[in-house]
Amino acid sequence: MSSVSAPIARDSHAGTLPVWRRSARPYLLVLPAIALTIGILYPFVLGAMYAFQNYRANRPDSTRWIGLENFQNIFSDPEFFQTALLTAQFAVAATVVETLLGISVALLLARSSTLSRFLERLLIVPLMIAPVIAAIIWRLMMLPTVGVLNYLLSPLGIRPEWTGSPRWALFSIILVDVWTYTPFVALLVLAGLRSLPRAPFEAAAVEGASFWYTFRNLTLPMLWPYILVAVIFRFMDSLKIFDIIQVLTQGGPGDATMSLQVRAFEQAITFSRYSLGSTYMLILWVVVYIATRGLIVVLSRAQARAAGV
Amino acid sequence: MAREGIVAVQQETQATAGDRAFTTPVSEPIQSRRRGVPWRDLAISALTVLYFVFALFPVVWMIILSLKPQDKLFTTYFQFEPTLAAYREIFSGAGGQGGATFLRFFVNSLVVSLGAVLVSLVVGVPAAYAFARWNFRGGESLLFTLLSFRFAPELMVIIPLLVIYRRLGLFDTHLGLIWVYQLITLPLIVWILRSYFQDLTPELEQSALLDGYNRPQAFLKIAVPLILPGLAASGLLAFIFAWNSFIFPFALTGSNAQTVTVGSLSFLGGATPRYNLTAAAALIALIPPLLLALSIQRFLVRGLTFGAVKG
Amino acid sequence: MATLTLRAIRKEYGKLVALDGLDLDVGDGEFFVLLGPSGAGKTTTLKCVAGLETPTAGRVEIGGRDVTDAEPNTRHVAMAFENYALYPQYSVYDNIAFPLRSKRYYRPPVEARSVIERVTTTLGIAHLLERMPRELSGGQRQRVALARVLVRPADVLLLDEPLSHLDAKLRATMRAELKSLGDVQRTTSVYVTHDYLEALALGDRIAVLREGSLVQVGTREDLWHRPVDLFVARAFGQPQINVIPGEIVSATGSSTFHSRDGTVTLPLQAPLLAAGTPVDLGLRPRDLILGEMPGMLPIRGQVYVVEPLGRQREVTVEIGENRVAVVTPQEDIASGDQVTISVAPERVLMFDGATGRNIMSDGLPESRMERAVHPEAVGYA
Repeated sequence: MSSVSAPIARDSHAGTLPVWRRSARPYLLVLPAIALTIGILYPFVLGAMYAFQNYRANRPDSTRWIGLENFQNIFSDPEFFQTALLTAQFAVAATVVETLLGISVALLLARSSTLSRFLERLLIVPLMIAPVIAAIIWRLMMLPTVGVLNYLLSPLGIRPEWTGSPRWALFSIILVDVWTYTPFVALLVLAGLRSLPRAPFEAAAVEGASFWYTFRNLTLPMLWPYILVAVIFRFMDSLKIFDIIQVLTQGGPGDATMSLQVRAFEQAITFSRYSLGSTYMLILWVVVYIATRGLIVVLSRAQARAAGV
Repeated sequence: MAREGIVAVQQETQATAGDRAFTTPVSEPIQSRRRGVPWRDLAISALTVLYFVFALFPVVWMIILSLKPQDKLFTTYFQFEPTLAAYREIFSGAGGQGGATFLRFFVNSLVVSLGAVLVSLVVGVPAAYAFARWNFRGGESLLFTLLSFRFAPELMVIIPLLVIYRRLGLFDTHLGLIWVYQLITLPLIVWILRSYFQDLTPELEQSALLDGYNRPQAFLKIAVPLILPGLAASGLLAFIFAWNSFIFPFALTGSNAQTVTVGSLSFLGGATPRYNLTAAAALIALIPPLLLALSIQRFLVRGLTFGAVKG
Repeated sequence: MATLTLRAIRKEYGKLVALDGLDLDVGDGEFFVLLGPSGAGKTTTLKCVAGLETPTAGRVEIGGRDVTDAEPNTRHVAMAFENYALYPQYSVYDNIAFPLRSKRYYRPPVEARSVIERVTTTLGIAHLLERMPRELSGGQRQRVALARVLVRPADVLLLDEPLSHLDAKLRATMRAELKSLGDVQRTTSVYVTHDYLEALALGDRIAVLREGSLVQVGTREDLWHRPVDLFVARAFGQPQINVIPGEIVSATGSSTFHSRDGTVTLPLQAPLLAAGTPVDLGLRPRDLILGEMPGMLPIRGQVYVVEPLGRQREVTVEIGENRVAVVTPQEDIASGDQVTISVAPERVLMFDGATGRNIMSDGLPESRMERAVHPEAVGYA
């Protein structure tokens, strides 16, 4: 015994937990989380069910099951395809611009001069502002009279219609989204750049590689996992775009900026067509579900790559 | 071109300490290395500033707009006497629905966001620990389900909740929002804290077990203190996202539990939209999350990617 | 009495079998060493004793009490981890005091302080009490880990390669210090290492572990002179034991060994073996002498290279296709010299060429199953 000889009770069954108690431990710990999850899943399932009914909130008593009728109607409705197309256009355009711009900003900031270190602290400002607030800000700026944008651009001879015309409206939406979320990509890529090892770049320098050569063949491949994560997060989020559109254009002019979720909102809340709204959402949800599975695969591979590089 | 490239890369790489390529500041200005005007540096700085003008000008202009007196709103852009009248007005009850003041919206946001984060922490911390330390059946599915909440279209849940909440009397209540905000806050906290717990070597807790502590004690005395920074940061990030949420309060609240994000819009409606009030409201709405975000900057990459990228 | 018994311990991780039917008896107060290469299952064994892992099958008994399913904090076991496992958020003092603040080992602060001061003084770290773990060197951290383990009562002390991350010089110093600690001497201890020198220096008895099974358990003499197979023989000794492959050629009445390349012929004291039995001859470099010696068996060859080893030299002798290393104090040896190596007949080890088992080991007390052989019976109390 060690010199501290405190007598400890030696009960032959002391501290023995039955095996089932021990293996139940993780389950006990997640029990509250499971309860909460079920609490969230219940409305989900309910919502999914609505898609197979003809639930109208203003006529709840005439609700009955209609199977796939909603889906048949939707898929033969040009409005749906227009909405889906617009959503896809927006998602692709916004994601591409944010990615390219974000990478550029990250590269600009990676030099770590005094200026860039100071500015980097302000990088997250647009990102941490609520999208709806960002939309309010830009909406105010786009106002023809009070708004400052037209005032600043008129010397250049540009008079954009912003939310006035269909083409400009989509552009405006994308602009606000880019403004808000480019920092996300930049932040991620910057973190990636900072994690890159020095040795390959030194070797490239010694061998006389130009900037673009280094960038294309060394930097970019090593940054790929980070870029991929950013792209997937942004793309999946843009599919559900709502806040910005609701504030800026409410889907207009006409139907020019109706995204899937905005349309669903209109159908469900404004027109009380709960079932139709749910159908739109179910379709979007299936797309997102499949994408989430793919995301997990990509994320784990990106994680492994980033660690192994 | 090649020579220029070599110098640039050399400067890039020589300017670093340790073995990271892009971290330490440039030690010498490029003038001492080459003669002539440093076009490249200038261009880079110019582009950087250009982007940040784009990023920050809207916020700056909002501040200006919010300080404009009502009568000068339409007459001038930048020449006026700044006044706090707009702020006084929104807090005294102008605008809004049914006389609810903006202050009330602010308090609602605070209550609901804080409540949601607290609930998620209480539920999420033990769950994250379980996911990190054990490999149990159903664990992966639960984790995946939580992740899918983050990307799920919100309306999917909102439509049925409109029905459920009316039946349960949760429509336009703080509790109703706190419940639905779990969609935002719980996945974030669980996934991030799981990655923090995974980073802890199990030996520390094992050592505590042998030192005479039982599992709950080892968890509280050893594991939790070591992830406290991560816990605080993820709590703050979750708060930010909860605060910034729009579609949930927009659909599920009326005048009682409305949050600032929705409330900011209220000054735009009606016959005479009050732009300076809107600007002031928007600014107030964005200040808390912004301040919090600035305090957890180092943590952001890890938080925003749910722990996937350590950054 | 804090004896430790492991009975038929089996540990599986899915399809991987980490421990396969382990049987061990450690006597009260014995300093028992578990030796083996990495992956052999040494740490797994310790964890089963500590309760950090539950064996798939088998029993663990401490002081006669079955603790196989008991929680770690109730087993009265202390463990020093290979990576020290110091709590980063606590100072050195708080790290060491941690067990004394638990309900199980509680000591009032004043008593705790005096115990901690005594232990840290013995270990030479009393001046570091206010520091944080990250400020300490490897050797200091190792001592803090030890202090934490010694500051509370324990029936069994488990040490998981505590010296493996220290540089060679420090390791040698700590080795001596460790064994001299009174607390260590009095407590039943299990020490895990992959370094045979530590095993030989520290262990009252040593168990050699390989891929989850015990190969041999015994005293240092047992393992050195009577290794149960080639694996054990190779595990001890630097330079490694020389192995000459060949077979038995019988002359009338006795066995003779012929090496495969025909260059070495030795009469053996072996029990009668059939002609043609493949045999690997084992010769320990330090058992070999350069020059003819009366009463010893001669082997002739040519010096290939001479490497100085401080006061001695390692001479590699070429004999046909075989290279034999000899450690000798002789100085005037050079490459190319023709030499005769002499070895005492009883020092020659013979291993079955096919199985690697020591041919003599079947005549020995069965070392693998120490069940009947209590340490006290062989003189280690």
